[in-house]
Amino acid sequence: MSEHEHGDIEEIDGQYVHVDVDGVDHRIYFEESGPEDGKPLLLQHTAGCNNQEWRHVLADDEITEDYRVIAYDLPFHGKSVPPTSEVWWDEDYTLTAERFAETIVSIADALDLEDPIYMGSSMGGNITLELGDWYPDRFRALIGLETGAHSPGFYIDWLDHAHVNTTEVNAYSCWGLMATQSPEPARRETMYLYEQGATGVFKGDLYYYSVDHDYRDDLDQVDAEECPLYVVNGEYDYLTDPEMGREVADGVGDGATAVETADIGHFPMSENPELFNAYLKEILADIEGDREEPLPDVLSGEDVGVDVSR
Amino acid sequence: MTEAELASNDWWEEYKAVVNQDDEMHVRGHDTFDENFYVEIGDERFLIEMDEGTVDEIVSDPGMNHAWSFGVEGDREAWEEFVQEVPPAFNHEVIASHYRTAVKDDPGHLQLTGNNKKIFQNLRAFQRALDLMRTTHNDGVNSDE
Repeated sequence: MSEHEHGDIEEIDGQYVHVDVDGVDHRIYFEESGPEDGKPLLLQHTAGCNNQEWRHVLADDEITEDYRVIAYDLPFHGKSVPPTSEVWWDEDYTLTAERFAETIVSIADALDLEDPIYMGSSMGGNITLELGDWYPDRFRALIGLETGAHSPGFYIDWLDHAHVNTTEVNAYSCWGLMATQSPEPARRETMYLYEQGATGVFKGDLYYYSVDHDYRDDLDQVDAEECPLYVVNGEYDYLTDPEMGREVADGVGDGATAVETADIGHFPMSENPELFNAYLKEILADIEGDREEPLPDVLSGEDVGVDVSR
Repeated sequence: MTEAELASNDWWEEYKAVVNQDDEMHVRGHDTFDENFYVEIGDERFLIEMDEGTVDEIVSDPGMNHAWSFGVEGDREAWEEFVQEVPPAFNHEVIASHYRTAVKDDPGHLQLTGNNKKIFQNLRAFQRALDLMRTTHNDGVNSDE
């Protein structure tokens, strides 16, 4: 984590953009950093959370030198309130694959992004398969962090239950998704962000994550030759472990690359920002064609010059 | 590393002191964590009797006269991994371990048992109580902190 002095103002701007999703106006909050004409890098948060997970990518001077980094809140998340034209309060919030993918593409369209690189984690990683299947011509590359063809077991009633403190439980059911050696302040902040989700939204996102998303028999439909796919899964991610990432890349075939990231878990960008940003720069270099060697099967702290005490 | 063997009498005495002096347990336990739980290490079962977020008593081999709401079971190797200062992936936290067992059918990990509603009603305090086994085992040093 970077250190700051009194009065420092971060070079991150927050704004709202109106996005038409299936004929309904959504007021979407996004933050961006980097030059206006930089190469767009569009960032999707995890289930039940918000764009604050990406603050360390937005604040990385090396990344924002070349990239216009944009992190948004999905509808119902963070500062993107539910649509004012809809009666949303008399039904459970439920995210489907179609709605999720359409929303991401609509946000890219509304911001007039040309050939953006898309990156998301967890449900934001899984959706790279739908994006690569349905919208391969819309993105320059897809980076799926913690991606699996199918990730069952997390659509759990206790995560939205009147007899449970869901504010705490939605966060701490995720505690073990992080590597214990990731810095404690960053892991505690990750849980703090999780405690900010609205009632039922985490579970509703997990309908997509654990039920609706199932590409086990459809991986060959993902067009990674038109749109390169990077499947980047952390060593400590017990849900979508690195072996699952390799299975995804193998199933997709040409254009798909699997990378295991050592000593990190399911929330890499927020649980260990220093290590993740170093890993990310290697992946971005590969997209740009700036690497002499292919990405290794396993990226470690040693590879990227970050000391990871074990 | 503590010289006491995992789950020996001296180890559990130290564990009780660690839990009862833990500031986070006091905050997250909200003085209301009263659900007894057991820890099963191989063939040995230990009942942790809780009283308002503190450990009241630890009972070896509990029987019909005792009551509990939930527990965690695993072979000794899995628990030895769990209490390491930097545990290996998938035995580093109880929900992680349980997922590998229950959903992935991946042997060698800890498994939750008992009343799921009470587990989720007390998740953070229960989770903290288990994490403090790692603190106990490493003389107060815990990669989780």
